Amino acid sequence: MFIHVFAYRMKILLHHRETIFWTMFFPLILATFFNMALSNLGSTEKFSPIDIAVVDNEQYRQNANLRLTLAEVSEGDDRLFNLSVVSAEEADKMLKNNKIDGYIVAERPIKLVVNKSGLNQSIIKSFADNYMHTVSATENILARDPSKIQNHISSIEDRVNYIRDVSSSGAEPNTVLAYFYSLLAMACLYGGFIGVREISDIQADISPVAARVNIAPVHKLKTFLYSSMASVTIHIAEMMILLAYLIFVLKVDFGTKTALVLLTTVIGSIAGFSFGSFISAVTKKSEGFKVAVLLSITMACCFLAGMMSQDVKYIILKNAPALLYVNPANLLTDAFFSLYYYDTYTKFLTNITILTGFIVVFCTVTYLIIRRRKYASI
Amino acid sequence: MQVFKLCLMIIYKNKATLLIYIVIFMVVSSFMSSVSAKEMEDSTSFKPVKTEVAFFSDEDTPLINGFREELADVANFVDIPDETVALQDALYYREVSCIIRVPEGFTKKFMNGENVQLEKISIPNSTKNVHIDLFIDKYFNTARLYVQNMEGITQQELVRYLKKDLSETVSTEMVEDEKKTSDMASAKYSLNFFAYPLLSVIIMGMGTLMLIFNDRDLKMRNNCSPVSSTSISMQFVLGNLVFTFLSWLIMLIICLAMNFRNIFSPNTVFHIAGSFVFAFCCSGISFFIGNLTNSHEAVTAAANVASLGLSFISGVFVPQELIGSSVLKAASFTPTYWYVRANNTIADLTVFSYEALKPVLNDFLIIIGFGLAFFSASLAIRKAKTND
Repeated sequence: MFIHVFAYRMKILLHHRETIFWTMFFPLILATFFNMALSNLGSTEKFSPIDIAVVDNEQYRQNANLRLTLAEVSEGDDRLFNLSVVSAEEADKMLKNNKIDGYIVAERPIKLVVNKSGLNQSIIKSFADNYMHTVSATENILARDPSKIQNHISSIEDRVNYIRDVSSSGAEPNTVLAYFYSLLAMACLYGGFIGVREISDIQADISPVAARVNIAPVHKLKTFLYSSMASVTIHIAEMMILLAYLIFVLKVDFGTKTALVLLTTVIGSIAGFSFGSFISAVTKKSEGFKVAVLLSITMACCFLAGMMSQDVKYIILKNAPALLYVNPANLLTDAFFSLYYYDTYTKFLTNITILTGFIVVFCTVTYLIIRRRKYASI
Repeated sequence: MQVFKLCLMIIYKNKATLLIYIVIFMVVSSFMSSVSAKEMEDSTSFKPVKTEVAFFSDEDTPLINGFREELADVANFVDIPDETVALQDALYYREVSCIIRVPEGFTKKFMNGENVQLEKISIPNSTKNVHIDLFIDKYFNTARLYVQNMEGITQQELVRYLKKDLSETVSTEMVEDEKKTSDMASAKYSLNFFAYPLLSVIIMGMGTLMLIFNDRDLKMRNNCSPVSSTSISMQFVLGNLVFTFLSWLIMLIICLAMNFRNIFSPNTVFHIAGSFVFAFCCSGISFFIGNLTNSHEAVTAAANVASLGLSFISGVFVPQELIGSSVLKAASFTPTYWYVRANNTIADLTVFSYEALKPVLNDFLIIIGFGLAFFSASLAIRKAKTND
């Protein structure tokens, strides 16, 4: 009996093109779009050398110190500036056409010309200030003891690095990844489409298939259980395809805890299915209506989990953190994220435990609603 | 005008589906305009940008206090609990760009001329990081000059000298940028985003209409009615155009209401013209899709994939500057790309001469060209289908 129901249910579901499209192809297509649009997003805050110019006047040519310092920071792969030495008119023109972020004029004091107050401009200023500070410090030191000149020059030359970069965890705080995690969470919750169908197909007043199944001399709960297993199997397979696509084709980094990522996906898939069944059981309307309810709730959950903008999630985190724990899309996104980002398992376990709690609640309520239902007339 | 009336009735019956997109549009545009309104402050004098920093010190010495005080010039200090997860979260959500920790014994070793380092946790390679690094580097390297060259200098003296040195700054001159900067920014975002709901609504609406009209039984019934087929076609086209126009108008009003601050600039007129041209093109796309699909499910799927796909790759959701050049190259084969490009150009316009408007008009012509191409392709498909 199990094999019969299981195999036929598989066949029915696989032939239902619409469900397969929404649960498998749509997330795949969306992931591709995400990848196209978001792949460069991380680079906006990455530092790239700042384009600056220095006016080639008499004072600049005489100021060997400034020339040397500027040349030093404009060389190599980790350089600070892309430097052009040009005439005053040319520098003005370059600034106007946004070819440079600012230019330096070697006067006394040094002048910096910019066209807006941005981060790049602040960096140029900080650099130019640094030069001024050294000059000022030199004056102070030599005023007190002029014999220190030689010693002082050599101290200026050997700059010391006072910063040691410590990594907070093994993973980079890459915000783009969270978009893909919430997409995977959405795809898991789309398992709800299959859940909705599953319940509709045992409610004799909703679908003709259900009417036929109901008159079969088999225990209804058994049929439901067997066919649910077929549904969950299909959805888990779809999610594995999506996960493989994300990891191997789009190169989305899920961290090193692969086994737990797979486990989370499976739990997410079951959560999606049970959520759909739950919605389908509590709303006693047509399948179209059930799908609309499911879709709106899923989308709202994903929006609040930061799928459209990470700022939304941050606002919730700051103002109503409890909301994050009652949102299945967020629990899943956070579970994937914790596996990638944190060294500890506390956050991951919290999310997975609550999500499992949700599955239990959804299944229990669904069971209580669908059990022992009889249809006197359809 | 039975056919025309029928078109409007069908659309009215499907209003719920179409309203969803309009609501999404309203929510997003209001969210975006409130966000970008904050960024609109523009000033004529130079103000250094500050970076968010979490500062922890395991010791309390005059040198470190002096450092913290000076660091405040380039940093806004953010209070976060000193716990691993809280720190990681703060860094991830960009609440802080870096976390600086002064280890115990730092000052003593520094004053003795030993090699010491501050611990810094940060977003790797970020520009804000470079800013803070430069500051730390200049503070302690200047301090080092004193420690190495003035024997027996006390921390208090050192801090005093540094305070004086750091007050010496370059003179900064701000030249006026001819371009208006962020004032059209929020309007620009809303108008770019406009492409998504417009495409979705028009494809969904037209798709539904065409499904019903292409129904075999209904078609046969219509064909035997005492109305000429030309009249039926014309009324159908009119119905579609009225629907396109109404959807465009409703969303345009919402969009303008959200950005009422900029409504009276001449740029708005060109933005409106651009969106109108684009609406015409959307109508062509939906006519094309409507001819290719044969079920309600297929229309929904096609509407979602087409509208999301076109929007994602052409810079409707993510600004064009942030999209990779190869993706943009592919996007230039879609009308949305030209619509977004035209919008971006219009938002930056200050002069409205023919020369300045030429690129915009070119973009408009390309969008119209796309629209016509879609219409002709759909007519060809229709013709082929009727011949079958």
